[in-house]
Amino acid sequence: MTTAPTSTAPTPSGPAPTPGSTPPPVRSGRRGVGAPLPLRAAAFLVALVCALPLVVVALKAFEAGAGDAFALVWRPRVGELLGNTVSLVVLTCVISTVLGVGAAWLVERTSLPGASFWRIALVAPLAVPAFVNSFAWSALVPGLEGLAGAVIVTSLSYFPFVFLPVAALLRSLDQGLEDAARALGLGPWRTFARVGLAQVRPALLGGVLLVALHLLAEYGALEMLRFPTFTTAILDQFEVAFDSRSGSVLAVVLMGIAVTVLTLELLARGRARHARVGSGTVRRATRTRLGRATSLALLGLTTLTALAIGVPAWSIGKWLSRADQAMEPANLGPTLWSTLALGLVAAVVTTVATFPAAWLIARSRSWFAVAVERVTYLAASLPGVVVALALITLTIGLVRPLYQTATVLVVAYVILFIPRAMVATRAAIAAVPPELGDAARTLGDRPVRAFLRVQLPLMLRGTMAGFALVFIAVTTELTATLLLAPTGTQTLATAFWDASASLDYAAAAPYAAALVVLSAPLTYLLLHGKNEEPLT
Amino acid sequence: MKTLQLSGITASHSGTPVLHGIDLVVPAGSTTAVLGPSGCGKTTLLRVVAGFLRPDAGHVRVGDDVVAGPGTWVAPEKRGLGYVAQEGNLFPHLDVAANISYGLPRRERRARARVDELLELVGLSGDLARRRPDQLSGGQQQRVALARALARRPRIVLLDEPFSALDPELRVATREAVAAALAHEQATVVLVTHDQAEALSFADQVAIMHEGRLTQVGAPVDVYRAPSDRRSAVSLGEACFLSGQLRDGVVTCALGALPAPLASGSGACEVIIRPEQLRLGDPAASPCVAEVTRTAFYGHDALVELRLDDHAGDRANVCARTLGSETPPIGSRVSVRVIGEPHVIAIHEAPSLATAETEPQN
Amino acid sequence: MTRRQMMILAAAAVTTLGLSACSSSLEATGELDASKLTIYSAQHKNLTEEWAREFQDKSGVKVQIRYGNDSSMGTQIVQEGASSPADVFLTENSPAMTTVQNAGLLAPVDAATVAQVGAEYVPSSKNWVGIAARSTVLVYNPSKISEAQLPKSLMDLAKPEFAGKWGAAAGGADFQAIASAVLATQGEAKTSEWLAALKSGAKIYQNNIATMKAVNAGQSPMGVIYHYYWYRDQALDKESSGNTKLHYFKNEDPGAFVSLSGGAVLKSSKHAADAQKFLAFITSKDGQQVLASTEAKEYAVGKGVASDPALPPLDSLQAPKIDPFTLTGPRVIELMTKAGIL
Repeated sequence: MTTAPTSTAPTPSGPAPTPGSTPPPVRSGRRGVGAPLPLRAAAFLVALVCALPLVVVALKAFEAGAGDAFALVWRPRVGELLGNTVSLVVLTCVISTVLGVGAAWLVERTSLPGASFWRIALVAPLAVPAFVNSFAWSALVPGLEGLAGAVIVTSLSYFPFVFLPVAALLRSLDQGLEDAARALGLGPWRTFARVGLAQVRPALLGGVLLVALHLLAEYGALEMLRFPTFTTAILDQFEVAFDSRSGSVLAVVLMGIAVTVLTLELLARGRARHARVGSGTVRRATRTRLGRATSLALLGLTTLTALAIGVPAWSIGKWLSRADQAMEPANLGPTLWSTLALGLVAAVVTTVATFPAAWLIARSRSWFAVAVERVTYLAASLPGVVVALALITLTIGLVRPLYQTATVLVVAYVILFIPRAMVATRAAIAAVPPELGDAARTLGDRPVRAFLRVQLPLMLRGTMAGFALVFIAVTTELTATLLLAPTGTQTLATAFWDASASLDYAAAAPYAAALVVLSAPLTYLLLHGKNEEPLT
Repeated sequence: MKTLQLSGITASHSGTPVLHGIDLVVPAGSTTAVLGPSGCGKTTLLRVVAGFLRPDAGHVRVGDDVVAGPGTWVAPEKRGLGYVAQEGNLFPHLDVAANISYGLPRRERRARARVDELLELVGLSGDLARRRPDQLSGGQQQRVALARALARRPRIVLLDEPFSALDPELRVATREAVAAALAHEQATVVLVTHDQAEALSFADQVAIMHEGRLTQVGAPVDVYRAPSDRRSAVSLGEACFLSGQLRDGVVTCALGALPAPLASGSGACEVIIRPEQLRLGDPAASPCVAEVTRTAFYGHDALVELRLDDHAGDRANVCARTLGSETPPIGSRVSVRVIGEPHVIAIHEAPSLATAETEPQN
Repeated sequence: MTRRQMMILAAAAVTTLGLSACSSSLEATGELDASKLTIYSAQHKNLTEEWAREFQDKSGVKVQIRYGNDSSMGTQIVQEGASSPADVFLTENSPAMTTVQNAGLLAPVDAATVAQVGAEYVPSSKNWVGIAARSTVLVYNPSKISEAQLPKSLMDLAKPEFAGKWGAAAGGADFQAIASAVLATQGEAKTSEWLAALKSGAKIYQNNIATMKAVNAGQSPMGVIYHYYWYRDQALDKESSGNTKLHYFKNEDPGAFVSLSGGAVLKSSKHAADAQKFLAFITSKDGQQVLASTEAKEYAVGKGVASDPALPPLDSLQAPKIDPFTLTGPRVIELMTKAGIL
């Protein structure tokens, strides 16, 4: 998810007759060969598809004029939803940051025993969808609801989004800067706060952004916890009137919030760039000795994992043991199969779809490339139901044969989840030096062949993390699937939702268990699918 | 083995001009080193030749074929060139054998004989064939990169600072192995480097580049002995510059009257003397006496900075190279004697007030 | 072959396998199959499936079902218009059916089918028929509120003394049907007042089951739901209703409203004959018997079919005199939006 910054130690100068080695010449613009037109066209097409729902929603919202749209926005209910949404996002982001950074620091930078165990345990919550988690918590604590309930459950579900990139960065952090800070007289704690955190900032912001965007689009967990936000309100609108203008207006407001979040992240990131991997060796960070605090730290992490994975595991296990009476086992097979199939197809298509834009960004970073990337982010911040309704409108009106087919569902998944894969693909491409492609060309390969023989194989592993993220997201997607799935198709998530909506825990448990089992191996990929450092 | 010919090459990076009318002929089977500091445009020149960058104007000819010119553009993969970059750019996902055979036709890729032959050519053991690039040392990587480039028997081999990332000792050994392999293949070679020793020892022809222009092209000995200007002189090694007066084949400067039979004309001029041309001795031995102001000791030799005694109000500084064991102490007085002929540039027919100085070395 | 090459090969193999497998599997699991009779059902899944299974066994007609809820599915059919894939539409309440009827998308129901259903359950247009009925009830937790303290009317819940003491699934179609009954009997002003009280004084739950469970758990003393959720749970393990009792408002109170579930055949149906057959089946004695014999616990509306004996007879409920065929959704939704519930 992040590229580790490493500093190139200056080589000591040799004897005078041979001048000391100087840094290699900067090879700036690689536009000599230029970004091929088909690549730009492909990136544009992807952005266009992602932008379609935005356009449809905006048109729908302003169909009856701006005044009418304003009247729908300017009412107490919208204020209430805004307050709820903002307080949820702020609180959960803060708590996720504290939990994620704290845990990452304990695991990667202290003498805490069992780091490799904790690394897995603290990513594992990602295998439990938030709405399954809320189901588990509701079953355990029936009164859990409202802001408190929503913040607790979403924080426990989403903090790994912060933990994962921050831990990866802390693990690869160069000790040099921190040593320098220590030498300047800062204590270990202040050193971490002033130097470590500063270096961690891009990774932290990336993680917090993910949490915020997830929260904006979260439906299942919040509905179950009786905490209305824009997304649940849009769903309510959908339920009362399918494709209502009021729903579209709410969606436009939600887009505004998403734009705000994206802009804030961009501003906070400032000029901090991902440093290129240099050839100098990274000095492994020294770990802070915890001493007597060890047991306290262990207790903290144990509590965190118990709450984040223990509760859902216990809850699902308990209801699973009573499932035999409620469950028609015949259903689980086909449901699992269609979930698997949809997840695989959508993950492959999404990963492939990221390539043009990711390539452009990693290689040239033109305004066009950045615009394409931001458009995909924006579309993906819409709740599934909005994208689904836009696609329904489009397919009913324009491409009727596609209406209610799996193809449209896959398109929706691509729109919703492309940023997850984009981040990974970008990093994977950036990690492969463009010079390798040049080398292949001087060895007689045409550009496409050079890509297939050299660059693609090198990028493949890096893109796996994105693939995994999309797969998990698809298997747990709820609202778009409910609307767009072909008649008769259900996924584990929708089947779980059907059962859990009637609070039939026993019937829901097998689907929840299947969801977790399906997602679990992919957390491994998230941990180990990182790019190998390029040879330098 | 083909002649490489560049004429009037102008090129730019994202709108900024980098090369301004480069003319260069690399005769078939010979080696030319393009020498210049970072950012002078030498890598850009190589990328133009390789086909990664289109020149704005000018021609690139390989043998009789124009590969780049107005209306003509041959893709890199069709130019039949070998290219070795500073980092080697071995494919990390392929082992050594697969890297070397990468450019070969499919059926030849399986044959180990060619891989072994190439490994031997670059002075590596056949045992390395199954290693992955990250299991090789830097020098080995560069040699494998060369073997990979040579596998297709390129007409011309381009080397982009291939040794600069290596440790000094490894640099020399690798350079010698590469030179031997290239000689064996009788390839036409262009080496881009900022290392004067590398350029002088490796090449049949040195081209000095400065801010996108070639300032001097010639055989290493000629360019070293007779630089066309201060910059050329400095880029090939330490040099002292003194102002002088040339008349009838004798140049008069702070070091006295020195014979300069090759210089023609008369008037104010600039005299270039290499530190190794100065011999130090007992102050009584010569009329030209100086005080040691600084020394830099390198072990095998040393550079000694000297302030020449007042010479008609002109306190000139020069720099001499001595054996390390004979480094004089700072503050001591020595006599200075010039061996061989000084090189005279910038002759102005009108006499002018002379100032002498020592060009600082990088 | 290097480890990396093997990984790439494996990844490629998995991808290819996955892609080919799922294209076939998606075919199998539900790429819209035009040869099947397509039912858009807002009714409960168990009930719809029971009807579909029996119908399939009897007629040999293959059936596929798309689930949704009243309002959204009704609007969806309107948006799909003449090319809707739906052949049959089943609702839980009448307003959504009225929406589709007003859009002119319903075909007349076969006379024989109409004849199977009580006349009071068929609109004059005869474009759809009632297929089941359900009654509004107040579920309460006696440990939190005594029977004597209960409101006399659904409208009384708006009184300050009940603020914070009741819950409802206000976002759902069921509640909107109840609200439309309030509108039909009390007029707009009183309805708005009542909805405002709901907004400020009631807990809003995800659905009727969640409402009932909350009452059962004592989180909310009272809840407005439909009757069958309670009877269904009572017939099972009483896990969600064991601590609760039902209160019927009777007296033609809006809280005694009986809602009519509907069934209709789409004008655009390409399997009109089979669709009519299906409608005929679910309103037949066999079809209506499903309501009584399974855990559905909804009231039967077919002539000569008795409802589940556990339920109080439909005519004992003293429901308000409301014409179910005039109830519509949009106005209620407007009022609820104004009240800030939606």
